Amino acid sequence: MSRDVTKTLADWLAAGGERIGQILLQRDANGWELRHAEDAGRTDLSGEVGAEAARGLANLDAAGAFRPLKTAPNLTRGWRLVLPDVAAVRRALDYFYPAMTGVWLSHMRGQLVPVVLRETLGRQTGMYRVTQKLTDPQARELIDTVCAGCLKHRLWEIAALNQQAPVFPVNSLPLLCHEACNLLVAKAREVVKKAESAA
Amino acid sequence: MFSKPDSALVIIGHGSTVNPDSSAPTFDHAAVLRAREVFGEVHSAFWKEEPSYRQVLHMIDRDDIYVVPNFISEGYFTKTVIPRELELDGPVTRRGGRTIKYCEPVGNDARMTDLLLRRAAEIAPGVDPAQTSLFIVGHGTNLNDNSAAAAKREVERIAARGLYAEVRNAYMEEEPLIAKWDEYSTQPNVVVVPFFISDGLHSYEDIPVLLGIASESPGAVSTGGAEVFKGNPYHLRGRTLFYASAIGTEPLFAEVILEQVAAFDATHGAAEPSAR
Repeated sequence: MSRDVTKTLADWLAAGGERIGQILLQRDANGWELRHAEDAGRTDLSGEVGAEAARGLANLDAAGAFRPLKTAPNLTRGWRLVLPDVAAVRRALDYFYPAMTGVWLSHMRGQLVPVVLRETLGRQTGMYRVTQKLTDPQARELIDTVCAGCLKHRLWEIAALNQQAPVFPVNSLPLLCHEACNLLVAKAREVVKKAESAA
Repeated sequence: MFSKPDSALVIIGHGSTVNPDSSAPTFDHAAVLRAREVFGEVHSAFWKEEPSYRQVLHMIDRDDIYVVPNFISEGYFTKTVIPRELELDGPVTRRGGRTIKYCEPVGNDARMTDLLLRRAAEIAPGVDPAQTSLFIVGHGTNLNDNSAAAAKREVERIAARGLYAEVRNAYMEEEPLIAKWDEYSTQPNVVVVPFFISDGLHSYEDIPVLLGIASESPGAVSTGGAEVFKGNPYHLRGRTLFYASAIGTEPLFAEVILEQVAAFDATHGAAEPSAR
């Protein structure tokens, strides 16, 4: 085993790490406790136990709508999740912010290869092949609107890598986007189809 | 069955941007297998949800990785999308010190026949199969999708067991249409099992409307579509109809996933050393 995501997370927590996205991680008498950062200090939260409970907490927003993008800044509030150890914290985070601990480790090890949007669209087939017709201005507008609703830091741009350094709160585990997600690719298809039907 | 503490398992699903039910069975099977500690680690990945196919390999610590598509048949996803997104070379891919083993989709497993029979028996307890018509419902007309062929294969296997008076295929969008279930069956009891990997729009709304047990109600999927399964049995068109949830929600799918790994090892060998 050449890498260990859970140990990396444990080391980060031991060094004072306490935030990931909208979640606050704290030591608890029973192990670890996760809650929405805006619920810090509240004593009226409903208690949940175990990593599997994270899936239900992450799935729906406050209005009960499904959250296909887990890094959207609409994590529901009002709960606290108690976990026995860092392994369980890692599993819970894989529901709250899927893959983000592992992607972060790959980034630190120099193994995360960002992919520019043109390359992502260029390999699409089937119903998404049409996204290759997306113009640069359309792509720019799409990124500025769709990605604005995501807490990840984009490491890619339309045709080049993003040179801006990520900005995250102190002691916060970075949420990194190394490639356009299918949500964005699907939106790109909508844009191209709409433009074609209007032409 | 076997123990692979030095291997990781990745279960590949489709997922949905509309409701959590599409990915739920894949997450459920992963949780079951994780708790059994057969593998050193177990992850899921999705086309339309997170973790994505492009993210999941970063979640893995082990260098020996089994990838099992939780798909009902070979087709566009198993042949094109998944290999492309995971950058696979074939059944065995060696890259960066890792060995990625690409297994067959769960729908190919011989146990699928038993699971369909089990689901059919569960949904209609005490009902005599000798007086029952069983329908296995597929999508039909999917681009480069062999799900219709897979459903047909299962019908032939079930019919060969001789348990049910009739076993028939039906599809949502091509003949024989599930909407004509009463024309295609002769028995007083009718059992309908959707041959899909998860519940969702098709099993919650489309098929019930075609069967005549629900009316069109846009949005039913996101507002408790599973209610339709609580109305069994339905009495209409002079028959007693039992409607089951998608076969992929069957907990024994976890066993089928393990079978795909065992089948891979039997074909390609388990102990292939990683290229360094």
